[in-house]
Amino acid sequence: MSTAAPPQKAPPPRERSGGRLSDGAFALLLTAPGLALFAAIIFYPLLSALFTGFFRQDLRLPGREFVGLDNFTHWLDGDFLAILEQTLIFTVGATLVPFVIGFALALALNTGLKGSGFLRGLFLFPWVIPGVVVSFLWMWIFNANYGVLNGVLMEAGIIDESVAWLGRPGTAMLAVIVTKAWASFPWMMVMLLAGLQTVPKELHEAASMDGAGSVRRFFAVTWPQVRGVASIVLLLEFIWNFQHFDTIYVLTGGGPAGTTETFATAVYQTAFKGFDIGRATALGGLWMLLLLLLVAVYLRITERKGDA
Amino acid sequence: MTSTTPTPVSAVGRPQPSATRAGRGTRRRVRKDLLRSRIAAWSAVVVIGAFGLLPVYWLLATALSTPESTFQFPPKLIPTDLTLGNFTALAENDQLIKYMINSLIVASITAVLSVIVATYMGYSFSKFRYRGRRSLMHLVLASQMFPQALLLVTLYTVFSSFGMLNTYTALVLSFTTFTMPLCVWMLKGIFDTVPDALLEAASIDGASRWRTLHSIVAPLAAPGMIAAGLFAFVRGWNDFIFALTLADKEKQTLPPGLVSTYIGEFQTAWPQLMAASLVVSVPVIVAFMFLQRYLVGGMTAGSVKS
Repeated sequence: MSTAAPPQKAPPPRERSGGRLSDGAFALLLTAPGLALFAAIIFYPLLSALFTGFFRQDLRLPGREFVGLDNFTHWLDGDFLAILEQTLIFTVGATLVPFVIGFALALALNTGLKGSGFLRGLFLFPWVIPGVVVSFLWMWIFNANYGVLNGVLMEAGIIDESVAWLGRPGTAMLAVIVTKAWASFPWMMVMLLAGLQTVPKELHEAASMDGAGSVRRFFAVTWPQVRGVASIVLLLEFIWNFQHFDTIYVLTGGGPAGTTETFATAVYQTAFKGFDIGRATALGGLWMLLLLLLVAVYLRITERKGDA
Repeated sequence: MTSTTPTPVSAVGRPQPSATRAGRGTRRRVRKDLLRSRIAAWSAVVVIGAFGLLPVYWLLATALSTPESTFQFPPKLIPTDLTLGNFTALAENDQLIKYMINSLIVASITAVLSVIVATYMGYSFSKFRYRGRRSLMHLVLASQMFPQALLLVTLYTVFSSFGMLNTYTALVLSFTTFTMPLCVWMLKGIFDTVPDALLEAASIDGASRWRTLHSIVAPLAAPGMIAAGLFAFVRGWNDFIFALTLADKEKQTLPPGLVSTYIGEFQTAWPQLMAASLVVSVPVIVAFMFLQRYLVGGMTAGSVKS
């Protein structure tokens, strides 16, 4: 809006000012180093992994043997559904729980509490610290013998004897979800708070004057304005959780009795503990297929938001 | 993404509606409403605060406790004999210091490499329009979402066949798989804020396209480039799965290093592990203090089209 370029100079003299390349070629040249790197460390490995799913191959040995769909049927006839189910339980839990917490907190901080800036910073801590630290901390909290959770619950008379939270099939998944929720609610809070801050205060005041209670105002005023951010936050978190590895691996390693096994831990264990990379990549291929569906949904949603 | 979303300030400005149309009753109701929402807000903060921050308290309390005091049940919620011994024990552990140096080296190189490569790519995406640009952008965006555990299987075999397992190079390259997409998107967003008029002006003044990028745009975007680098550093610093698998004790970084040091079959030394956890967290916390302004943008780089 500010350029007052003299009209006679409308087509800038590119030939004189740049190299011999056209703009398009120049732009592609700029992407070349990045693309080369992407191709080498992401696209090639991924495609090659998908290919490996059709072979019997040992991680430690050279050579492989084509086995068709054997690796795939191994999973589909075996643990695939159990792993899918557990992955979904983890993913849904670890997405919804922090979303509810983060949203509640964002709404609270958005009412203009004293020191909400400071609180926002403080609450970021669980998200900021490295994932393994989160896992260590909750491992210690959930510890069966000396853990503080057992201590507090026992003092309060809620349980009679120590619970091995991470060692029991019934509670291990719950513990993993709580841990992951603790690490992710802050970023959801920040995102939703940013969304809430775009809701004009006047809208609230007007609705309030017109006699709308806080629940009505939430659904009539707030929700329509943050729906966009909320759906993106939910979908992104869902995609990330769908392939989350660190927390589960450190806390339970997929156990006890495989009850917290997800795609990520199963692929990892099959490849690096079982050394069977044919089977690992076959499961990975199935996993990738599901993930691609999610990513496609995601791309469509961001696409609909329109381009600049 | 952080850009100003212009929100239509609500319709025809209502000047002090309370004074005119709405009577006292409405005003009282609104005030009561406000009080009620205040109470709700504070209770939410307190409850979530307990969930969010008590574990942090426990992390600190344990890190400052003596090893013996943590082997009692029920645990003392307020530790009495505080000590810094766990931290000094860390400083004397040569293996941990080696992990830390590895972490610093690998995360720094990753950050620098990612920012350099992503600067060109992000600039291209931001300031040029050409065929295939959209598909490339989608590819970069989607590559952030590929499963790492699967990627790792081939990366392992490839690095292994080149004899690159257990090298900094392998770690840097594997970290780049997740830092590069992040940096490309962050930097594209930053270049989007550089006005096109500036580029035109530079071109009219006879600056080549390279020069425009290097001496005009890059200095302007420098704070954003540093922020992207810091984000990449943090992500690299926090990585667990790649360093766990592609390197052993010699070249491993802190996160997997701590697992192999402390999480064993024997009784874990919790106070020391908590102290070590705090030490690993410090650089990340410091980085985020600098990143406050870029927080929302960096968290979702690429998740929302700018």
